[in-house]
Amino acid sequence: MAKFRNSEESYGILAQVLHWCVAMLIFVQLPLGVYAANLPVSLARLQWLSYHKSIGITILVLALARLAWRWIDAPPALPDTMALWERRAAHAVHWALYVVPVLAMLAGWLYASAAGLSVNWFGILLIPDLVAKNAELAPLFKALHHGLVGVLVLLLIGHVGAAARHAFLVRDNIVQRMLPAAWWGKK
Amino acid sequence: MVGKKVILLRWIWLLPAVLCTPVFAAEECYTAAATGGAVTFRVMQAGAPYTGTFRSFSGEVCFTQGRITRIDAALDPASVDTGLPELDAALKEKDFFALREYPRVTFVSTSVQSQGDTHTAHGTLEIKGNRREVEIVLRSQPADGKISVSGSLVLDRLQYGIGAGEWTNTKWLGAEVKLDIRATLSRKQ
Ligand code: HEM
Ligand code: HEM
Repeated sequence: MAKFRNSEESYGILAQVLHWCVAMLIFVQLPLGVYAANLPVSLARLQWLSYHKSIGITILVLALARLAWRWIDAPPALPDTMALWERRAAHAVHWALYVVPVLAMLAGWLYASAAGLSVNWFGILLIPDLVAKNAELAPLFKALHHGLVGVLVLLLIGHVGAAARHAFLVRDNIVQRMLPAAWWGKK
Repeated sequence: MVGKKVILLRWIWLLPAVLCTPVFAAEECYTAAATGGAVTFRVMQAGAPYTGTFRSFSGEVCFTQGRITRIDAALDPASVDTGLPELDAALKEKDFFALREYPRVTFVSTSVQSQGDTHTAHGTLEIKGNRREVEIVLRSQPADGKISVSGSLVLDRLQYGIGAGEWTNTKWLGAEVKLDIRATLSRKQ
């Protein structure tokens, strides 16, 4: 039955829950960021940007928790049925999917700090600024946030495309390893 | 006729005292230049403190024997600098400072109590055509030939119509605005 930790053939509950929480929040965060950033100066802009920043801080914490858990609990090895280049590509993209979002979120946080738009996490907790307000640095961090989010989108296209390929073309069990089905699947 | 002359003579001895008053208790006036000073504001946005600066202001402060007797100051809201150009532009529009109609913010004192280097000024603050009586506590300090003054003031932006329309919502933009004033006064020539 359901396993809390990763096993040889699938990811455990914690790894899966964290993966899908982060995935879902990132897919909310992208359109939210575009929507908020393109609003004119208005109450709505303050409000949606505030949600964007709060959700962003949430994802940052979850992403770091994922990394920590991965360090404690090694993921299942990719099967030999995959070519070496496929395994290498998967590993590279997975690592990038850990590192790039974290950097993108730090850049967002740096931008918010430098622009003086400090974050109050859902109106509950005042998040400290990473740098003091600085009108020269702000546009740089903003460009960095946008650039890293762009890289993240490219990685996600590759990642989701690869998942679709495994599910529909290769038809191996790779995608099931990240799905609850694996818990009661074969055995 | 005679009576009037007598009254005049009776008071004539006061004349030297009246003439000498300006010499012993002269009012010295100073002007504040925006360089070496700033007016910063602090307001809550989405639950987090947000700050900005007004770069241009002017003022005249008069002292009599170390006591402030008069303050007359003006601020250009057009000089607002938040670091976000689109926000600076929005602040000049009618929902905020409505610059075209109200190019200046003014403060004129009605009375000032000085105690050492602490001065409590009562006066009229006018923002966007709305006048309110306010109290500003200032501290003064000599600074090589000049006087540096600093003080602060907390006000409710809604009382002055700063943030009309949707901006009257105080959940996303707080009502309370804290102004911090720092100025360097030089002797008026
Ligand atoms: C519809 C969207 C997504 C699908 C279908 C998907 C699918 C998968 C699958 C099937 C795996 C397991 C691969 C294996 O069996 O080894 C996986 C792993 C992974 N996914 Fe996703 N994913 C999605 C979104 C995301 C997003 C938004 C992120 C962003 C951070 C992400 C980051 C990762 C990482 C880092 C791993 C590697 C886990 C590890 O080995 O430690 N995924 N994903
Ligand atoms: C993975 C998480 C994040 C994603 C995917 C993301 C994505 C985006 C996107 C797509 C935009 C709009 C770019 C545009 O169209 O101009 C944006 C803007 C913004 N993001 Fe993020 N963001 C994330 C995390 C964060 C975090 C953690 C913060 C701050 C704490 C943040 C602060 C901002 C701010 C302030 C803007 C507005 C920039 C502007 O005014 O143009 N973001 N974000």
